[in-house]
Amino acid sequence: MSRDGAAALLEVRVAHKDHASAGGRPQRVLENLCFSLPAGRAGALVGPSGCGKTTLLRIIAGLDAAFSGEVTLPAGGRLGMVFQEPRLLPWRSVIDNLRIAAPRASEAALSALLAAFELSEHALHFPGELSLGLARRVAIARALAIEPDLLLLDEPFVSLDDALARDLRARIAALIDESHVTTLIVTHDLREAIELADVVFLLSPRPARVGATLTIETPRRSMTKEAADALETRARKEIEAMRGR
Amino acid sequence: MIRLLSLMLLLALWQGAAVFADPRRLPGPVPVFEAIAHEAETGALFANLAATLARVAASFLLAMSLGAALGYAMGRRPALDRLFDPWLVILLNLPALVVIVLAYLWAGLTEAAAIGAVALNKLPNAIVVMREGARALDPELDEMAEVFRLRPAARLRHIVAPQLSPYLAAATRSGLSLVWKIVLVVELIGRSNGVGFEINMAFQLFDVRLLLAYAIPFVLLMLGVETFLVQPFERHVSRWRRRPARGQGRA
Repeated sequence: MSRDGAAALLEVRVAHKDHASAGGRPQRVLENLCFSLPAGRAGALVGPSGCGKTTLLRIIAGLDAAFSGEVTLPAGGRLGMVFQEPRLLPWRSVIDNLRIAAPRASEAALSALLAAFELSEHALHFPGELSLGLARRVAIARALAIEPDLLLLDEPFVSLDDALARDLRARIAALIDESHVTTLIVTHDLREAIELADVVFLLSPRPARVGATLTIETPRRSMTKEAADALETRARKEIEAMRGR
Repeated sequence: MIRLLSLMLLLALWQGAAVFADPRRLPGPVPVFEAIAHEAETGALFANLAATLARVAASFLLAMSLGAALGYAMGRRPALDRLFDPWLVILLNLPALVVIVLAYLWAGLTEAAAIGAVALNKLPNAIVVMREGARALDPELDEMAEVFRLRPAARLRHIVAPQLSPYLAAATRSGLSLVWKIVLVVELIGRSNGVGFEINMAFQLFDVRLLLAYAIPFVLLMLGVETFLVQPFERHVSRWRRRPARGQGRA
């Protein structure tokens, strides 16, 4: 992974990435997948289940080095990641989970963060005592506690009920607007991506590449149902075209 | 409460058996406790208990720290595991007495030989348990630590140690009882103090009273260690579990 100090953007160029399948034959998961995300913007990677989204996210996070290509992280290169499962330390309290991830954050900053996610009353609880929705919020708070240069979210709304998902989406939207943290969200839900992101990258089926890029001009806060519907229709056409190709 | 009752029952059984037995072969609780009191008065009891306890502590700490480090390394690195697993099997199946006699032959009747021999007897056991623990470490939390760039010290303290602590407690529990039994054997063969030495004396003199007068206080001492050190430690490290023995690693 190389880091270019001058370019404050996320740049991903994956020539190809293969998985060894059970039979021993390598299977191509990603091919010629390139995109870049300007600093302070929110991008969403959207694709069907199993198209290699999580693989791509792991490559960007530096957890998988077995690929050919190059990933340039935003200057600083501090990563805040929210995994699909919260991956909190079950033997440490909520506040300790934040402290351990961000040893240099001040107590005041951490308390403010917990308050922002309405987690103050759970500060001393163990993760096992929290519902999934709460645990996800803790995981997001933890990722933000390190003041990341890039925030990675892997399907942050999966297995939450509609109301909880909507609530969390609103929180993340507000957070992106306030903190201007460069954010990359991976999701299978197109509507979710449109409502949250400034740029939506539509991935093709396997081997995945960026089939189309959708720039969303309407700011998150003033996104109307009609505008979102229009964007969704446009995106669906692009997806159809990708399949037909 | 039940525990106390159970101990009282054992004492009553002993007393009952002693009534019918030859007092030289099985003295009752009263003469044994008198012997304990006598040994305590002369100070010999405490000196010998202390000597044995010090050996138990030294060899236990040696075996556990080495065993934890080696077991962790073998659990994390399959190549290392394959390389040293045959050694481990050999060590596991080497009789304690062989190790003890060899240690005395090679290093003389010294304290180092005694402690080393006991530690070597416990070592493979500790390695096996800790290796199991290291194999069960959650890879998802390792990835989390990787992404958040936790320092090695923080990983050890907050990620590895909490996952290994149940294994550490299990190894401690089985280890303490094993170690103190073997310590008595090394004392019997090649030391001039300690509970094992006194038991050897009692054997030579056919003095069952003296034998029990040393065995019982030490058993009680180890029972105390278990109740007041090992169990509270276990409770402390598993306080995050709503129910004990639930699957670990996941929130």
